[in-house]
Amino acid sequence: MKRHFLAASLLLSAATSFGAGYQINLEGLRQVAMGGTGTAWPWDASTIFYNPGGLVRLKGIQAYTSVSLIMPYTAYGNQVNSGMNPTSVSSQPQTFTPFNVYIGGPVQENSRIALGLGIYTPAGNGLKWDDNWLGKYLVQSITLKAVCFQPTISYRVSDFLAVGAGFVYGTGSLDFSQAMPVHGQLGPGHDDGQAKLHGAADGVGFNIGAQFKLSEQLQFGLTYRSQVNMSISGGSANFKVPASLRDSFPNTRFDSQLPLPQVVSIGVGYRTGPWTLQLDLNYTGWNSFDSLRFNFEKHTSSLHNVHAPRHYHNTFTPRIGATYKINKVVAVMAGGAYDVTPVPNGFVSPELPDANRIVASCGVSVKPLPRFTILAAFESTTTVKRAATYDFGGFNGTYQTIAYTPGVGIYYNF
Amino acid sequence: MRKIYIIAAVAFTFAACKPSVKISAPVSPGSATFTNYLAIGNSLTAGYADNTLYLTGQINSYPQRLFEQFSMITGDRGAKGPFIQPLLHGNDGYPGAKLIMGVSTNTCTGTSSLGPMSVPNYVADPLDANVYVSPVNNGQINNIGVPGIRIADYIVPGYASIFNPYAARFYADPAGTPMKELKTMVNNLYPTFFTFWLGANDVLGYASNGGQGRGADSAAPVFGDFYNPNDITPTYVFEKLYDSALKIASSTGASGALINIPDITSIPAFTTIPADGLFLVRQSQADSLNAFWHTSFPDISFKIGHNLFIIQDNAGQTRQAVPGELIILSSSILNNITCQGWGSYTPILKGSVLTTDEIQFIRTATARFNDFIEKEALKYNLAYVDMFTYLKTVAGGIAYNGIDYTAQYVSGGAFSLDGVHLTPRGYALVANEIIKTINAKYHSTIPYADVNRYNGVIFP
Repeated sequence: MKRHFLAASLLLSAATSFGAGYQINLEGLRQVAMGGTGTAWPWDASTIFYNPGGLVRLKGIQAYTSVSLIMPYTAYGNQVNSGMNPTSVSSQPQTFTPFNVYIGGPVQENSRIALGLGIYTPAGNGLKWDDNWLGKYLVQSITLKAVCFQPTISYRVSDFLAVGAGFVYGTGSLDFSQAMPVHGQLGPGHDDGQAKLHGAADGVGFNIGAQFKLSEQLQFGLTYRSQVNMSISGGSANFKVPASLRDSFPNTRFDSQLPLPQVVSIGVGYRTGPWTLQLDLNYTGWNSFDSLRFNFEKHTSSLHNVHAPRHYHNTFTPRIGATYKINKVVAVMAGGAYDVTPVPNGFVSPELPDANRIVASCGVSVKPLPRFTILAAFESTTTVKRAATYDFGGFNGTYQTIAYTPGVGIYYNF
Repeated sequence: MRKIYIIAAVAFTFAACKPSVKISAPVSPGSATFTNYLAIGNSLTAGYADNTLYLTGQINSYPQRLFEQFSMITGDRGAKGPFIQPLLHGNDGYPGAKLIMGVSTNTCTGTSSLGPMSVPNYVADPLDANVYVSPVNNGQINNIGVPGIRIADYIVPGYASIFNPYAARFYADPAGTPMKELKTMVNNLYPTFFTFWLGANDVLGYASNGGQGRGADSAAPVFGDFYNPNDITPTYVFEKLYDSALKIASSTGASGALINIPDITSIPAFTTIPADGLFLVRQSQADSLNAFWHTSFPDISFKIGHNLFIIQDNAGQTRQAVPGELIILSSSILNNITCQGWGSYTPILKGSVLTTDEIQFIRTATARFNDFIEKEALKYNLAYVDMFTYLKTVAGGIAYNGIDYTAQYVSGGAFSLDGVHLTPRGYALVANEIIKTINAKYHSTIPYADVNRYNGVIFP
């Protein structure tokens, strides 16, 4: 009978993934400023990410770096829980600084072969709620970070066709905390239990692309970025629980897998006079997540592996952008995208309150010296207000996320 | 370069504006008036938990939660305080000790384990024996829930003074009947809204005593109008008295909600010890038991693994339990199973077992009573809260605002350590289910209570 007295379930809601909310599309500032388009046109060395096939189109070796500041806020409102005061709560301010470094280009002038290395951050985001908010038993805070290293080779088959391929090594981390519904004498809000998970993740994948140059005016791109299965091995899971439950929730190690999804992109770019227009379409393979697991090294009657079913949809994201070259020195960019959420209703958790995103962006490039360019971009991402449920955790509400992301960068042509 | 400055300025401007999803639906009373709220009921209404009544249990009763939510209605038709409950002073239990989680040592196995136990060195708070006097002049009390009270008790004269110390604490006339008391309370408060949750004890007494009374709708009074608490109240008595009490409760023209009787057979007090809870790890144990029983009871057999307990049926006959039969949870029964060979060498006594036919009587009576309660709700045009179905759903497992609830004893979260009554969290869930039904019936928009703020089981 003893076991009946010890159990207290741990509801790791585990909607955790490098899901839509954590995927940040900030791998190149000029592309960011044009709504995230860039599959067709090899603007600069950041094409290592956007289309490895375009690298060989560069004039020479280029060194590129940029950094952005993401300042995301998510608001949560719930009519039915007026115990919350105020009825709309906002996540706590946090700033993340995803960065990119690219170096590469044709090995010699007019060479058919280009080599390069890209270091970029496809995910670097988080959400931190008040420790005592209504959804604390699902999530108090979460941070997911990933940095990818991509050595790349690009080959010019002909003036018309260039191809490229990169090997992707991703490394990252997960930090997650949630309150546990076991408490001592002081009660909830005073001595709640707490679970804290921390793990380092890594995985490999590839990024391949083809760049088609019909003319100086019209270019196409096609890329495939494979899934990068970021696996956590030997992460630490620590539990703060009342003393009598210490044996039920031993601190332990855990394994998990947090995949970055595969993406197919096609793009077209058209230049006329000072204008360049771009159109991209991303098809993201979210449905490869059929479930998410946390496997703990130690098990007790209370501590079991966590297995959360996921039913993400694959999504299409249309993107559009334009550049207007004012003169030889200055160009301005603007664009937008509509990023459809992969998360169906019933699976919208406060860790990842995802919704359809409206992206609007703008930017400027300034070339003060012939070999040197300065970039600046600004992106605003707003989700539509989404009233949704998270059935696994019996949680519902209305969410809205807004993120303003300024970024600056430079590149130098050798 | 100027453009960069502009962009930076724009960025900082935007960063200052956060999203907000304030959902400000007006809190409306709909067609009901919640100004004066009266809660009528039994232990579940009183805030009884952990096998006793104590202060923090009362403070976390569902009527208290309802009052708080009703007071969020602005204007004339929102609930107005004070909400008077006949509060005790002590937190260890009245008149007996409450159950808490603690480490105790089993007397025969010598092993220590964490589990429910009575408050050690319990001493009743001397103030709790005093008669409760309402701080409001006319003797206003808003929660008149009396632990243990049945519908059948409503016409028993002297019920408070003779049978029920909880009623005796605050009844204006302990020598009168509960029906008369209800009339007094209704006259004092003049409720505009009431909740009425009675009837569970009309079957629970039978169940808690292992079906050792009359279950087949055939009970007769033992004297006067008093029925043996081990009997299931006869249907005609239940219906007549329920209707009389409801007539009084609604005599002011108040709106209200009738809450039906939960499924007693799905609560932890009856589901924690399964019929096949005898677990044998060695073949030699099975062999010894088979040898022990073989001569007189050739049908009884044991094997390694789960085995059905040996029980005494209603007629006192020894047999092996049938799957689905229920063993009543108590620390003494657990101890007898572990230490005294109950269920293996000695049958579990009939007073601790609900056999298949007894379970059927309980279910039949509950269904009959609930049918009647539903009809009454229709007749008096009141909200009908199907707590039978809701608590069964909770017992089967629900997630609510990130917490899992089940009927698992101790860890389930909704049921307190007595396995019958609820934790503060469980009572808040109940309050929200009642609010849901009230909102549907009266087209009101009363917000739900924040269940996560309240205690579940406290762990040392």
